[in-house]
Amino acid sequence: MAGSALRRLMAEYKQLTLNPPEGIIAGPINEENFFEWEALITGPEGTCFEGGIFPAKLIFPSDYPLSPPKMQFVCEMFHPNIYADGRVCISILHAPGDDPMGYESSSERWSPVQSVEKILLSVVSMLAEPNDESGANVDAAKMWREDRAQFNSIADRIVKKTLGLHQ
Amino acid sequence: MKALLATVISLTLTVVVIGNAYYQKKQFYPSVVYLTNSNPSMAVMYLQAFILVLLIGKLMRKVFFGTLRPAEFEHLIERSWYAITETCLAFTVFRDDFNPKFIALFTVLLFLKAFHWLAEDRVDYMERSPVIGLVFHVRILSLLMLLAHLDMYFIVHAYQVTMAKGPSVQLVFGFEYAILIIMIANILIKYILHAIDSRWEAPWESKAAVLLYTELAVNFLKVLLYIGFVTVMVRIYTLPLFAFRPMYETMRSFKKAYNDVVLSRRAIRNMNTLYPDATAAELAAADNECIICREDMHSGAKKLPCNHIFHAACLRLWFQRQQTCPTCRLNVLRAPEPPTAAPAPPNAVPPHAPNMPNMPLPHMNLNMPHMNLNMPPNLNLPPNLPPPPPMMSWGAPPPPPPPPPRPAGLATLSLAELQRMEGNERANIEARLQLLQEIQAMLDAAVLLMQQYSTVAARHPGATVATQTDSVKESPERSGAGEAPAPDSTSPSGLEPRPGAAQPGPSKDLPSSSVMSSTSTSNDSTDAAAEELRRRRLQKFTTEK
Ligand SMILES: [Zn+2]
Ligand SMILES: [Zn+2]
Repeated sequence: MAGSALRRLMAEYKQLTLNPPEGIIAGPINEENFFEWEALITGPEGTCFEGGIFPAKLIFPSDYPLSPPKMQFVCEMFHPNIYADGRVCISILHAPGDDPMGYESSSERWSPVQSVEKILLSVVSMLAEPNDESGANVDAAKMWREDRAQFNSIADRIVKKTLGLHQ
Repeated sequence: MKALLATVISLTLTVVVIGNAYYQKKQFYPSVVYLTNSNPSMAVMYLQAFILVLLIGKLMRKVFFGTLRPAEFEHLIERSWYAITETCLAFTVFRDDFNPKFIALFTVLLFLKAFHWLAEDRVDYMERSPVIGLVFHVRILSLLMLLAHLDMYFIVHAYQVTMAKGPSVQLVFGFEYAILIIMIANILIKYILHAIDSRWEAPWESKAAVLLYTELAVNFLKVLLYIGFVTVMVRIYTLPLFAFRPMYETMRSFKKAYNDVVLSRRAIRNMNTLYPDATAAELAAADNECIICREDMHSGAKKLPCNHIFHAACLRLWFQRQQTCPTCRLNVLRAPEPPTAAPAPPNAVPPHAPNMPNMPLPHMNLNMPHMNLNMPPNLNLPPNLPPPPPMMSWGAPPPPPPPPPRPAGLATLSLAELQRMEGNERANIEARLQLLQEIQAMLDAAVLLMQQYSTVAARHPGATVATQTDSVKESPERSGAGEAPAPDSTSPSGLEPRPGAAQPGPSKDLPSSSVMSSTSTSNDSTDAAAEELRRRRLQKFTTEK
């Protein structure tokens, strides 16, 4: 019998493949290794990221689901909750007690109840509604607050770029 | 390509240098002397040797690992940098022994270390891949055997040299190879555990515990070795700075392993004493699915005070990290304890039970910390206080909805009762304490009730009263022992907050979990659909790249 982490990841993969949520595709990069996934996230409609298709990768720890995976966009991103290197900083990806930003309540933290699907849905809603108190990208947070027009134009450029990459 | 170029260049240089030496001296021995006396020639020879080592490394890697995964490669590079830095630090301690042989030995050490790291990563990878072939096993086992033999050889060599010639740099080598052979033992144990686990049909629950204790033992051995090594080094040479980082890391992982063992033991103890096994009805109410592993629960499931149900094994692993309910984050250490800790059968202590006739709280059977049911026997109730109910309904199904419990109001107390509380005699104090205890019990009950309400309210937005829990746990003898349980309370499962229902999000709307987790051939059509979608997904990825 495979390890419990592997079994759970296989179950989640199956579920995500059978019932993919709107605008999200995710699965192992290589089915020989279920602990490294790639995901494609469609920018939510009605936001400045609309129309973009953003590739990301998820790296799962060997004790998943006791510990959360790490998620990193592999395309250029400009967003208050995404580090310059693409790492995503949202509370669902942090275990309680591990709080780099110090602003998250423990109720939204990682626990085995969460899943890849919920992470990806949270990321979609993060794209739609940035949390500008998080300092993952201070410049983006500041621009989001103070100069929305410029933020939108940068987002627009990124959206075009992701589409260009994938044509 | 670059590697090939470097190899070709270095080979050409070597050929030119040797050819030149032979051309000048015409004979073998003078050529060798010429080469060793010429610094540029020696530099070329060293470069050649280095490239040769790299080539052998590549060959070995191909033979034993095939292609490295990116993560393995990154890990290797990161660890190599540390190792090289520490080797340079070690050079400063042994400047007197500094010679080509010394460098060669360190290179071999680094070289072998790299293969130990790769073997470790590869064995960890066993847990991550559903497809582990025969080639994998052959490769890992032969590599481990080879490395173990080499480690042993170098340990014996270091021992003999040290015995024959006194302490030298061989101390470091002996120590390093001793650490490496412990590592081999650790990898081998992990490998065997993973291999056994992958052959078993059922999940192997004690594997985690075995791994935990292995980790503890291995780290303990390493810590001992490091302490011994540092002591010897300080006595003979100087403080071995180059060993400090690995020593610190070993100590840290030893501490972590120790903490893990402690937490695990505590979790197991709590699991066995505090949380009741879930009944079949409760399991059915939770869709039989354990939210931690997303697999069916048949037996061995435990129920937390918040009524959420999980596999005991899953819960134990989670409690090693956090003492909260995975679903609702109730802090289980602060939460009231369940009835296993409750006092002896109520009939045994009725006169001492606090007077709480209307305490039909769902959680009253959870033995609140302050509510000491086993009061000292000398604390008798004054006879004219309202008598305790014939049987305290600990865990008995209460009549819903529960009216709030009340201690006797001061206004309703008779003059005699009031007088009883005045004065400093023992009886007076007891009477006062009695009243205070009732108040405290009431407060505790109120807090519990609030907790219960909020849990239930969070779960059932529409539900009004669903506070009735735990009654299934009541054993029939107890219910029949004298007290009349509320008639409608015999079907509590319908009122129970369903643990599964607390899980928000779309996954609950999906087809039943049993379909999802079964890979049997019975649902070929769903499997085919999955296959189709997977193919489409992969296709999408490939076309987009
Ligand atoms: Zn489970
Ligand atoms: Zn709970």
